[in-house]
Amino acid sequence: MVETPDLPSIFFYILVNGLPLTLLLTALGLLGGFFLGLSLAIMRVYGGKDLDLVSSGYGKVLRGIPLLVLIYIFVFGIPGIFWFIDPLMRPLFGVILALALRSGAYQSQLFRGAILSVDPGQMMAARAMGMSQFQAFRHIVLPQALRLAIPSWSNEYAVVIKDSSYAYAVGIIEMLKVAFRVSANYPLLWAPTMGVVAILYFIFTYPITRIFGERQTKKLKKLGMGGG
Amino acid sequence: MRKGITAIVIIVCIVAGFAAGWLFSAFLPGLTQVSLVDQIKARGYIIVGTSSDWPPFEVFNTTTQELEGFDIDISELVAAELGVTVQWSDMDFDSLIGACTGGTIDMVAAAIMVTPERAEVLAHSVPYIRVNELIIVRGDSILTITKLEDLAALPAKSVGCQSGTTQEDELIDAGVDYASYVSALLMLADLDAGGIDVAFIDEPVLGQYMAYGFKSIFSVPAEPTALWCKWEEPELMAAINKALLEAYKDGTIDALIAKWF
Repeated sequence: MVETPDLPSIFFYILVNGLPLTLLLTALGLLGGFFLGLSLAIMRVYGGKDLDLVSSGYGKVLRGIPLLVLIYIFVFGIPGIFWFIDPLMRPLFGVILALALRSGAYQSQLFRGAILSVDPGQMMAARAMGMSQFQAFRHIVLPQALRLAIPSWSNEYAVVIKDSSYAYAVGIIEMLKVAFRVSANYPLLWAPTMGVVAILYFIFTYPITRIFGERQTKKLKKLGMGGG
Repeated sequence: MRKGITAIVIIVCIVAGFAAGWLFSAFLPGLTQVSLVDQIKARGYIIVGTSSDWPPFEVFNTTTQELEGFDIDISELVAAELGVTVQWSDMDFDSLIGACTGGTIDMVAAAIMVTPERAEVLAHSVPYIRVNELIIVRGDSILTITKLEDLAALPAKSVGCQSGTTQEDELIDAGVDYASYVSALLMLADLDAGGIDVAFIDEPVLGQYMAYGFKSIFSVPAEPTALWCKWEEPELMAAINKALLEAYKDGTIDALIAKWF
């Protein structure tokens, strides 16, 4: 970077140095949360009373804990759970685990809603055709439910990418930490640097929620699915 | 009613699960039996925690893309003594001591001053520098004080310090109602913006933020600064002390002080 950087060079500096880890945290956090959330949603809808209680209990507990506390628990509290990973990478995995567990709790809600919004008559029709309950779920209900979940899922992406900024507190060099490093070099540029990082988060949040959220909602409405 | 009981059972199970995970990790073979020095030598690097908003002790130079500063060079000496390289973990100052007791990092090098409270949880090396702490105000301020207790007369939250620092302890002892910040950077930005009127900070750090035009109105000699590691690892502490004492003997520390201050 040049001696007195202008805002575009700060922008690209943060983009190049901070964005990769921010996106990695977001992607892995969302992916982990997807599988966890989908399993929990299936447990809630088809699992009977006991599995339903496990799933909703999990959701209640995880939604009641601040993300930063979860990150501290997995990174500093019990770092030994990642004993098989290189010690340098452990904080990264701790943060991803925290993001995934938290996101899973929220995603279970939106997948549950999506599964329930598929007309129960379809399940009955599939069963009448001779499909087992699993086959009917796998081939009839799940594809529609996943599509219905896209708008609210894009909102979950917007939440997780912003929550990933908490990772700076445990020494992960994502966008916010890079912004802090820049402003430690140029104290007078503190406020503009925060503005730049705010714009960066916005750029990587708004278009995605717009494309996947609003457009998909319109598309689904045309198809007569869901209420958006 | 039955539902309520089941919910409580689930919560208890989750808590018990966390506890089991902690016990499991605490008693894992290989984590506790091999000494930290052997682990460090085996993996070829030492993980040192720092907080890169504290120039000239440690700052991430965005031009060279490297951490630099007095503590950084001191830590390199320790790594050379152990025959390994340094891998940096750059986190919040507040988190460093917890990270070291938890085992996420092996050593802390972040201009941490020796206090009885810290020495209870972590072991410290021989001190390697001693600095002054300054009370600073904006350039146009007319405030003067003769002792720290004078700050207590100011309006609440008009004095700032970094949380977890010795300055914070001293403000508590002086009965000042202060505002705390996670980084020096935030505190000085807020002082400049008028959020607070007074800040309490290490003298060398102020030098790097000269552009703001702050002035110092009072100074206090600080506790000595040291490197920190776990009490359970006397071998590592011995290596750290050996590196520091040899650097004193051959003048390396004096050369580094001349280089950075």
